[in-house]
Order: sequence, then C-alpha cells, then structure tokens
Amino acid sequence: MSSKPYIFRIASLILCVSLGLMLFRGIAALPVTEKVTGPASHYLARTAGETGARNVVGAILFDYRAFDTLGESTVIFTAVCGIAMLFSRRKFHRSSRGLSFIAKRGIGIMVPFLLMYASVIILFGHLSPGGGFQGGTIFATVTVLLCVVFGSSFESQYFPPRTKDILESGGALLFSGIGLIGLAAGTGFLSNIAAGFPAGTFGSFLSAGSVPILNVAVGMKVGAGLSTIFYSMIKMLDAGHDHREGGGIE
Amino acid sequence: MSLSFMIFLYVFLIATALVISAINDILSAVITLSVFGILLATAFAILQAPDVALTQAVINSGIVTALFLVAFSQTEKPECYSEEEEE
Repeated sequence: MSSKPYIFRIASLILCVSLGLMLFRGIAALPVTEKVTGPASHYLARTAGETGARNVVGAILFDYRAFDTLGESTVIFTAVCGIAMLFSRRKFHRSSRGLSFIAKRGIGIMVPFLLMYASVIILFGHLSPGGGFQGGTIFATVTVLLCVVFGSSFESQYFPPRTKDILESGGALLFSGIGLIGLAAGTGFLSNIAAGFPAGTFGSFLSAGSVPILNVAVGMKVGAGLSTIFYSMIKMLDAGHDHREGGGIE
Repeated sequence: MSLSFMIFLYVFLIATALVISAINDILSAVITLSVFGILLATAFAILQAPDVALTQAVINSGIVTALFLVAFSQTEKPECYSEEEEE
C-alpha cells in the first residue's frame, strides 16, 4: 500500500471532524430558554384560529409556506420530466415474470392495507402527523412493490404510465388552481381562510379550508412522480436483461 | 425515553454510518443505509418530530433503497460480484 491514500484518508478525517465540531458549536449556540420565541410562538398560538388545522406542521407547510411547497413539488416534477426523457428511448421491453407464488399472494394481501394507510396519511394530514409527501411516497412504494413482485408489465397494466402522467399534471394544476382562487379573491396567492375557504370546526375531518385539498394535490404529484421515476428505471433494467431468463431486481 | 436507549440508538447510528462509508460491498452499503434510515426515524420520533420521522422512514427505507438497488444492478461491478450475478 502506498502512503498516498493514507494522506487522503487522514485529510478527510480531519475535514469531517472539523465540520462536526462546527456543527456541535452551532448546537451550543441555540437558545436554551424554555419559552418558544420568534415565529414559532406565533404559529403555536394562532394556527388553530388562523387555519383551523390541528397539525401545526401541516398548517405551516400548506398554508403559511404553501408557496415553498409548490416550489418543492415543482422540483420533483422537474426531476420526473428529466428522468422520463432520459429513459424514454427504449420502446420495447420484456417484463420479468416476478417472484414466487408465495410472495405474490403475500403482497396481494398487503397491498389494500398499504393503499388504505397511504390514503389515511394524506386525507388526515391536517389532523395528525403526515401529509401529501408522506402518503404519496407510500403510494409510490406500493407501485414499487408491484413492479418487483409481479413484474413491471403487470404494474403498468394496473397503473398505466399515461394515468400517472395525468395524475401528476392534475396535482400540479389543482395546487396552482387553489392558489389562483386566493389570487382571485384578492387576498394573495395560496391564501387559505382569508380567501373564503371554510374553516370548519377545529379537529373535525372537514376543516382547515384548503389544507386537505392541497394535501391531496401534493400526494397525487409525489406518488405519481416517484412511481414514474421507478418505472422508467426498471423498464430500462428489464430491457437490459433481455438476454437472460427474466428475474426481478436481484 | 430512557437515556440508555438513546445512547444505544446513537451508537448504532454512528456505527451504521461508518459501515456505509467504509464498506467495499455496495449492496451491503445500500442495505445498511436502510437500517440507518430506520434508526434515524426512531430518533426523530423520540425527539417529537413525527412528520419528519414518517418522511424519513418511508423515503429512506422504501424509495431510496429501491432506486439504489436498480442503479446498483445497472452498473459495472468489480470482480468480486461475478459469481453473485448469476443469481
């Protein structure tokens, strides 16, 4: 072994340790008061009155900072567009036959519960922890499971790529449309209660104005987007393995 | 939550992170990454951030592992994988 890699290793160790020390000094610089100060105190005190949502994190994501959330989901949209363009060359592909019968039956029993879990996380995003991002990702995980266990042609038969495109674009349009309602009411882009959305009774399912609708929109976008990314990649994988007996991913 | 459990959690977090960065076998690194994600999600849940914990658990253990496995099976492997490739 030459001495050059050791120098690199020691240098990177020193870099990591100094970065960690800086981060720990940042933790030490945080205020240690028991009382919540700054914008956090405003959110904790007024969220229930101003948005009607019980989940303060969800209220911040989809009401106070909804424009940031629109930007974040645009990032996912751009990533999906790029990956779909990158992998769209191969028209023909042969799907794998999937895993064994036991795995298929087991996943078949699990999938309805996973779908229900994802729906609950999206629809109750304004009441309990969760929201559009998390629930949409669970939807994408279900399609990933179907791809791996049943083969990608089965998955594309039940969730066609065209449907995913429509869902993703529909989520983006729904989000922007809700924002434009606020603009039309004269209270600013993506404004919630001020734009006339009903606040409902605090803590009930139908409350918090536009927050549940925006949750559903983001869930559509994220779920369809991530599952399109995985489907594009595994389509290429199946095409690359054409000369072998079809197997799943590993 | 008890202090000993937190120490256990943090020690295992650091250990799995070191394993991920040091191990040569990429497949083991990907699987260790999902273990790391679950431990980190537990830590987030204990620190009263359930939203972040949910995101961490779902994305790191579900989507990222699946995408990394697809990318792993598409890349050129060094010699040590030649016997595992034939399933």
